[in-house]
Amino acid sequence: MSDPPGGRTLTGRVAVVTGAERPLAAGLAHALRSAGASVAEVPSSELHSRTSAATAFTTAAATLGGPVDIVVHGAVPEIAFEAIDFDQVDDARWDAVWEATMGAAIHALQLGFEQMRGRGGRFVFVTPTVSMSGAARLVPYTTAVEGIRLLAKSAARQWGPDGITVNCLAPAPEHFPIGVASIDVSLAPPALGGPGDAVTDLGPIAVFLAGDASHALTGATLCADGGVWMAP
Amino acid sequence: MSSERPPTTGTLDGRTAVVTGAGQGVGEGIARALAAGGANVVVAARRAETGEPVAAAIRARGERAVCIVTDVTSRESMAACVDQTVEQFGALEIMVHNAFRGGTPHRLEELSPELWEQNSRTAVWGSYYSAVLAFPHLRAAGARGRLILITSPSGVEGSVNIPIYSPVKAAQRAMAKSLSREWGEHGITVNCVAPVAETPALVSAFERNPVLKERIEARTSLGRIGDPEHDIGAVTRFLASDDAGYVTGQTIVCDGGSFMGL
Repeated sequence: MSDPPGGRTLTGRVAVVTGAERPLAAGLAHALRSAGASVAEVPSSELHSRTSAATAFTTAAATLGGPVDIVVHGAVPEIAFEAIDFDQVDDARWDAVWEATMGAAIHALQLGFEQMRGRGGRFVFVTPTVSMSGAARLVPYTTAVEGIRLLAKSAARQWGPDGITVNCLAPAPEHFPIGVASIDVSLAPPALGGPGDAVTDLGPIAVFLAGDASHALTGATLCADGGVWMAP
Repeated sequence: MSSERPPTTGTLDGRTAVVTGAGQGVGEGIARALAAGGANVVVAARRAETGEPVAAAIRARGERAVCIVTDVTSRESMAACVDQTVEQFGALEIMVHNAFRGGTPHRLEELSPELWEQNSRTAVWGSYYSAVLAFPHLRAAGARGRLILITSPSGVEGSVNIPIYSPVKAAQRAMAKSLSREWGEHGITVNCVAPVAETPALVSAFERNPVLKERIEARTSLGRIGDPEHDIGAVTRFLASDDAGYVTGQTIVCDGGSFMGL
């Protein structure tokens, strides 16, 4: 992977990147590392239970030499990405997508907060733009992602006084194996030509949200999809 | 532009609606408004003690309503509600999911599994069951098919006092958007209403926190808190009618002009 532009603004910071088995989150982890952070990459599967998630967070702090300052949450259960007609969605799938996706996000929030309490910190939730545009045959997934986006806003409101910011980074759907392109849910082509590269295009935005420069920004969703979805 | 079609009238005559959580508050207001618009209304309530009087009050006005005791968190109970509705009225064109439990103030770091489950099961699983179980009937209704999910301005703004309420209400909005794209080919519309209304839940919140009422009224353009039937129910009735046949995937924030971020 090539390095992203920018300096080493995260030197000395400890970061956990969840969902790092997928290329986008792995790219963001690479970008944080290039900016000087010590990064633990945690696969989505470890966020499923509170116990394994807690182990991942304490292990990260122990091995990286300090409490966690930054959580970039990209964890999503693999089944969430499967496109399926809504009338074929059964309770088991609804549980495996909605409950598991939200559960992982709540675990990441609560465990990150434990380590940031009294010190401040940064949460960055990866929320692809399809949660705002909607997408046919992806009802469980889009429902869960929008849940995460508002979980972030509520956390931002509660934890602002603790010096903790909580923001969302909304990439183009092309970064996920969901068979949806931005152009499917928008008439406009990407102003910047495409969905961008995880490390060199989205990486610097994640580094910004993870660093001191974004201290006055919270509860926001940065649509980093190459200029398709221009909400709000 | 000329049209061969007759003008729309906004009437719901002959259509059948299910309203969950209709034993009180916003759900009751919506049930009354849909009945006033001519619909056969199923007051789906968790308890007969609340649902039956609402249905009886509607019938006393000369309109049509029955109460079906329904637990929106149970697939079996929701399926039975839909089946009984179709058995009794012959069709189901309008599904309104409003039921919710779990508005207890809390800190996110102390969120209990029980409170999460109340929020998730009533708002999100309830929406899922409403949608998936009503779907065969909504598809049969074609351009008269309506799924309406009652969400909240908090589902867009986030909430400092009841933080977990926001994600479950936001989830409903995303569900409506995705379903509107998926079901558009059948003519079914899927929308949300995000109300602020004088409900028993809000009144008890005011009792606990008198400043809240002043704050809400002060930031509301119209300076008053909505009426469940005349303000919220009427907007829901519009979405249920042919007049709103070209509106889908949307949220109408019905809060007297407070949140304007959409």
